[in-house]
Amino acid sequence: MSNIDIDAPGSNQLFIGNEAMARGALEAGVGWASAYPGTPSSEILSSLAEVAKKRDIYVEWSVNEKVAIEAGAAASFAGLRSLVAMKMNGLNVVIDFLSTIILSGIGKKGLVLMVGDDPAAHSSSNETDSRPVSKWLDIPLVEPGDFQEAKDMMPYLYDISEEFGTICILRSVTRVAHARGNIRLGEIPKVVHKARFEQYYDPAAPMPTPIMCIPSSFRHMFQHVRIDKIREKFETSPYNKYVGPEKPDLLIVTAGSGWLYSQDAVNALKAEDRIGILKLGTLWPLPEKLVKSCLSKADKVLFIEETDPFLEGVIMEFAAGFSPESKRNLFYGNHTRHLNSFGELTPDAVIKAITGVLDIKYQPRDAEYMKKVESVPQQYVMDRLLTFCPGCPHRASFWAIKDALAMDGRHGFVTGDIGCYTMALGPAGFFQTRTHQCMGAGAGLANGFGQLRRFGFDQPVVSVVGDSTFYHSIIPALVNGVHNHSDFTLVILDNGATAMTGFQPHPGTGLTAMGEPAQQISMENICRAIGARVEVCDPFDLKNTTRTMLDLIEQKEGARVAIMRRTCELVRQKKEEKPYKMKIDPEKCLGEDCGCNRLCTRVFRCPGLIWDPVAGKTKIDEVICNECGVCADICPEGAITKEAVA
Amino acid sequence: MNKLAKDPINVVVAGVGGQGNVMVTLVLGNTLVHDGYFVTIGETYGASQRGGSVMSHLKISAEKQYSPLIPEGQADIVLGMEPVETLRVLKSYGNQNVVTVLNPRPIHPVDFTGSGAGYPDMESLLAQVAGMSAKTYVVEATGEAQKLGNPMLANMILIGALIQTGLVTISREAIEKTIRDMFPKAVKENIAALSKGRELAAGQ
Amino acid sequence: MVTKTKGMGELFKEVINKGLCTLCGACIGDCPYTVFYRGKIRMLDFCNREEGHCYEYCPRTHTDLDEISNKLLGVPFSGAGIGTVKDVFMARSRDSKVRSKAQYGGTVTTLLLLALENGLINAAITTKTSDEKLPESCVAHSAAEVMESAGSSYMAYPVLEAVNRIPKESKDRLGIVVTPCQAVALAKMRLNPPTQRNSLDNLRLSIGLFCTWALDYGRFYEFLKNNVDLAKVNKFDIPPPPANKFDVYMGQEIKSFPLDEVRNYRMATCAYCLDMTAEFTDISVGSVEGVEGWNTVIVRTQRGMDIIADAKKMGRLDIKDLPDQSLTHLKEAALNKRARAVQEIVKKTGDKNELMYIDISDNLKQKLLGQRVTVQGGH
Repeated sequence: MSNIDIDAPGSNQLFIGNEAMARGALEAGVGWASAYPGTPSSEILSSLAEVAKKRDIYVEWSVNEKVAIEAGAAASFAGLRSLVAMKMNGLNVVIDFLSTIILSGIGKKGLVLMVGDDPAAHSSSNETDSRPVSKWLDIPLVEPGDFQEAKDMMPYLYDISEEFGTICILRSVTRVAHARGNIRLGEIPKVVHKARFEQYYDPAAPMPTPIMCIPSSFRHMFQHVRIDKIREKFETSPYNKYVGPEKPDLLIVTAGSGWLYSQDAVNALKAEDRIGILKLGTLWPLPEKLVKSCLSKADKVLFIEETDPFLEGVIMEFAAGFSPESKRNLFYGNHTRHLNSFGELTPDAVIKAITGVLDIKYQPRDAEYMKKVESVPQQYVMDRLLTFCPGCPHRASFWAIKDALAMDGRHGFVTGDIGCYTMALGPAGFFQTRTHQCMGAGAGLANGFGQLRRFGFDQPVVSVVGDSTFYHSIIPALVNGVHNHSDFTLVILDNGATAMTGFQPHPGTGLTAMGEPAQQISMENICRAIGARVEVCDPFDLKNTTRTMLDLIEQKEGARVAIMRRTCELVRQKKEEKPYKMKIDPEKCLGEDCGCNRLCTRVFRCPGLIWDPVAGKTKIDEVICNECGVCADICPEGAITKEAVA
Repeated sequence: MNKLAKDPINVVVAGVGGQGNVMVTLVLGNTLVHDGYFVTIGETYGASQRGGSVMSHLKISAEKQYSPLIPEGQADIVLGMEPVETLRVLKSYGNQNVVTVLNPRPIHPVDFTGSGAGYPDMESLLAQVAGMSAKTYVVEATGEAQKLGNPMLANMILIGALIQTGLVTISREAIEKTIRDMFPKAVKENIAALSKGRELAAGQ
Repeated sequence: MVTKTKGMGELFKEVINKGLCTLCGACIGDCPYTVFYRGKIRMLDFCNREEGHCYEYCPRTHTDLDEISNKLLGVPFSGAGIGTVKDVFMARSRDSKVRSKAQYGGTVTTLLLLALENGLINAAITTKTSDEKLPESCVAHSAAEVMESAGSSYMAYPVLEAVNRIPKESKDRLGIVVTPCQAVALAKMRLNPPTQRNSLDNLRLSIGLFCTWALDYGRFYEFLKNNVDLAKVNKFDIPPPPANKFDVYMGQEIKSFPLDEVRNYRMATCAYCLDMTAEFTDISVGSVEGVEGWNTVIVRTQRGMDIIADAKKMGRLDIKDLPDQSLTHLKEAALNKRARAVQEIVKKTGDKNELMYIDISDNLKQKLLGQRVTVQGGH
């Protein structure tokens, strides 16, 4: 993690986009930041958390995005510049609040919502494009095209937010948020944050208006007026720019990640004199005059956007309303299938789109080299599927869940959730997880399945969630399950961290984002208070965990909970030495023979175990193995042994 | 800062989650930015600790900020932390001029292990890599790192080898400063690893 | 006709998922992929071996009865109902303690105790009734442990699991008590010994139990739990004749259920079993029709003759001739089971040439298909 508050204005630093945004927030003088972790947005808050005490600002990991934005709004209401960050999934969670705050307006100080989108869903369950929400809910939205802008847009957006009294969205995508580039630092102002909510205190003074969204239609109209004013402001924004010849053969209209890709593509095609690029930084409201003047430069217009054809839609809609004397443009983009509306944008995709519109030849590699490329045997570059880390407690947890469901024999299944354990959809978790939606959905689905007994449904249902997910969105589902007598088992994989997104603390860890001790909120106490039976087990004790699972599955009715508790291996190894020394006795290893058939390397599949097809034996990769000892307990022949390290 | 022979220089760092791919690009990137270059790094997160293929794109320029992704076939240097991953990257980004620096220590994909196929034959794998590179440096980084007491030092050995090739202009002073900034508790070990890498590549 | 050895996938497809599993236990115990749980064999993970001992030893996969009979008993599989007979008589234990705990005459327990005592064996694999009144396998090394295993619960239990768990290097001299289906599986193991586990070279004595059917472990246990106080139960019995009730002893109290009701909990697979008297063992033991407190004993091998001679010499058994009428009825009943099974199999396959797992000579097949059968009553 970089030191985002380094006091060296004018110096160059290598920051990831998220750190740049966090630095930008410091340069904007924010007093508050709240977020729920989610790739690719997490580093904004974690890097602010590191400097929070020193900069005298408040930073928190909130229990979920809804609380994060509502708490963040309160800071704005009380006169602090406030930043709320989340990934696009979180945006969906907070839509209801957004739909009212655009009516009520904010406090005296700016409120910025940073949303990190994940095109190609590198680390997500979907690749939703957040930009349409700006048009839908009338929220100003900007998007950085490079790392410097990621920083610079923060203070810019706070000024807009305060000038017009509205929440603003800064949207970025993985390839900006998680890419690294040069940042020229600005100054961090010294702000003494003072919070107060304006209240009726002087009988002689007029009572301040509550911050409220009624009368809604009037306030809706007022937001539209604001949006029109902001449109005027955006016409001259420094983040919108045109580069290229005065009369290009082709005008590219782009934003966000498309900005650098388009430049790279034009560069690779050596077509700088034929192609102009209009890069928009302020996407909504659309700076119409600027767009119109650029459209007049060229007949052909190509939209380069990641995921949704958002600009393509709004600009074509806008162009359709031009007066008749205007020249009609030929538009290319997603609607002409020059670009996909799914997956990740790449320089190659841009090159392909351009060469599809203009007659330019492009061959990245010669035929001779391509022959070599094609000669690479496919089995040499077989896909490397993701798996749980060596020593990960989840592998053991799913082993126990698998065995229990198999022994029970009623074709039980797991409804999954969002975290590392999502990998249980595949061989990492022995294909146990059979549904995968959004955070909290696994428990909601389990509620439904568990209610279908009356319709002949007789399969055991196991909802598997992570510890952070439990606090985020599982508690209402468990309340519902107990209240409505739904029949399911909730398994909480408590590894003491939000591991998927970078080990952020959560309400169960007893630490705040700023590293201060906090009350550890006991998940077992919560579950018991709700009225569920709760069992706690150590997943590395496979026998007991399997037995506990069986016992819970076989319970006749009601929601019940297993907490499988063991520290994330990546957290553990930072604090402790490896617990065992693992060994394999090749004499005992049965390999592929009847009675084993490579249970450890074929089914258990820990990356620390490797198969030697020549010797027909399993070996331990001592560089990879974290010596957790679990494989010794699954080896049917006792060939794998663990020896405690003193 | 010097003008580069080719601008930008495109480097792909290929490895497996958990190997320290991000760390390698950070060491190189921080050093180059402090030397005044524009650096852009595209990384794959999420999968980074979980056994999947991890690839970072590093673009170095004396002129401008480039995008974080390298187009097909446009790598100048492949820094291979793992043989299969190196070949995979050459397939997409290699070309007749590419120079490859490779750590031949395999990390067995659980899928190779699971299917029972085992890891591809190393000799023929390395021949494929060499056939697709203008020059290949094979650096036994993991083995040497284990001798130095920590397999993670393999990364610094590879960086040392990369510097030795002369393809990226990184001064000894600059990289040692980065090491002091990034690994204040393990300066000696990392500098020793760096020298070991240079030594290993020098003979090739 | 199936002749190839297959793997676990086929075992489940052809046997277990079709409800043909006898719960003998030959496929579990040394295999990490299969497990016995609440009356069923469950697959924990899929083993993709094309050949496995699980399939090979299963008494419901291809079974060449002539081959087994030839190798173990030196004669082809018999058309007669009760198989090879070197001697047949009725017997009972001279020890009243054994008689009161055991079924009928207590002959099995007496023979095991004797074999342990004279060193023929030093471990007996048998079934005992657990505190929960469920059967469980036990490896008895002492007379006291053998006494614990006396008596029957009439529920099928995978006793061969215990055989599979014997360490490869074990030199224990083994005795074992098995039902007919278990005897078939055991015979298959002995014919093609496994390489990765104990080869059963040291099996010294096998005692078979007469069986017309066994009760389903899972379903019958539920029935019992709902109808008697299991904590008090000390013995189960189907007293002859006319073998129409199932008695549950609870101390002095006996609760009787009509056998017709209990028969609802039979295992479906028993209908396809050709063997009533456990033909592939050294000695087979059952009840005597019309004589309470005695066992019918069929001696099939020289080993069997030897231990009976010892028992006589040491005065451990009362031995009497089996009445001709009893022997005739036993033969009829056994043949009836054999013929009925073949006819049931043909009914299931719908093809007179398709006998599922059974491999027998054409002559015998024709004979059994032509046999008139009656509905079987007792156990």
